[in-house]
Amino acid sequence: MPANLTDDLVMRYTDLHPGSPAGAVPVLLLHGFGTNFEMNWKSAGWVQELGNEGLRVLGPDLRGHGGSDKPTDDDAYLPERFSRDFVGLLDELDVDRVDVVGYSMGSRLGWDLALRAPERVRCLVLGGFGPADAFAGTDLNALGEGTTPFDEVFRTVSTLPGNDPAALAACARGQAARPFRPEPVPEGVPFLLAAGSEDALAAGAEELARDRGGSHLEIPGRDHVSAVSSRIFRQAVVDFLVRG
Amino acid sequence: MAEETITFTLPDLGEGLVEATLLDWEVDVGDHIARNAPLVEMETTKSAVVIPSPHDGRVVELHAVPDEVVRVGAPLVTFAVAAADGPRAGIVGTVPEEESRPRRRVRLTPPTE
Repeated sequence: MPANLTDDLVMRYTDLHPGSPAGAVPVLLLHGFGTNFEMNWKSAGWVQELGNEGLRVLGPDLRGHGGSDKPTDDDAYLPERFSRDFVGLLDELDVDRVDVVGYSMGSRLGWDLALRAPERVRCLVLGGFGPADAFAGTDLNALGEGTTPFDEVFRTVSTLPGNDPAALAACARGQAARPFRPEPVPEGVPFLLAAGSEDALAAGAEELARDRGGSHLEIPGRDHVSAVSSRIFRQAVVDFLVRG
Repeated sequence: MAEETITFTLPDLGEGLVEATLLDWEVDVGDHIARNAPLVEMETTKSAVVIPSPHDGRVVELHAVPDEVVRVGAPLVTFAVAAADGPRAGIVGTVPEEESRPRRRVRLTPPTE
C-alpha cells in the first residue's frame, strides 16, 4: 500500500499525573465530534475526578480538532486512522495498556481501537453513544443545512472558536464511510455504555449493552450535551475503572 | 474563629455567553467545600461545565435551583469562610489553573505498509 502522507500529522495531547503509581493503568480520554480535550473533559470536571483517584490521564485533541492538524480529505478521518494515532501515542509514551473513556464519536473510536488492538485496552467506557446511525437522514454534502440531530450538532460546533468547518465536514464523511457494527465485540474488553435518558444520538445503548454483554448506565434527565458533566456519569466511570 | 460571608456570582463563561442553565449542585447548604472542589454543573448553549469552588468554606445559601437560567454576574452561592486577618486583597472568584504539564505535540508517522 502506498504510504498516505496525510497521516504524518501533528497531534496535540495532554499528559497529566505521569508519575502515577506503577501498575496503575492510565486513562485515555477521547472527546466527541467538534470539541476538544479541554472542552469535553477538562471543563466538565473529568480531569479533577480522575486525578483525585491518582490516575494518569492522556488527553489528545483528535485529528481535525483542537490544537491538532486538520486535514480536509475525507479519508483522513476513517476510524482506522484515528486508531493508528492512538496506538502511536501509546507507543510514543511507552504505555502498554489504557482504560479508554470516549464520548460520542470518541466512543465510536474507542470501540474501533479496542477491536484493532485489544491488547492495548483494558476496559472501555462508551459515553453518549448508541448503535444507531448518527448520520441518518443527513446530507453529508450539505452538513448543517438540514434538520437532523447531526445537522444540529454540526451547526453548533462549526461556530466554536478554533474549529475548521471544512475539516469537520471531512471528518463526518470519513466516519460515515464506516458505519458502526455491533459485531464483533472487542475480545476480552469489559465495556460500559453510559448516556443521558434524553440523548437521541445514543438511542439503543441499553439494548447494545444487554445483547453484547456490556454494562449500562442511564443518566436521568440529561441529553447529549448536558450528560457530559454529570456527577452520576463521572462517579460511575470511576467505579467502573477503579473498583471494577 | 471569626467568619465572614462571601457571595460568588456566575463568572463569565467566555464566548460572549450572558447566561447559563443550572444543571445540578454538587453541594448542599451546610456542606463544607474545599477550594477547587466541584461546586455546580452549568450548561451553556455550547457545552456543559463543572465550576469549581473559589473558596474553602461552608455553604450558607444556594441562590438558584436546577433548570434555572442564571445570568452572568447573578448570585450563585454564599459561603461562610474564616475571616482573614488584616485587609483582604480585592480578588475573588478566580481559581488558578491546576498544575499540569504543558501540552506537548507529537508527530506521528505511520509504519510503512
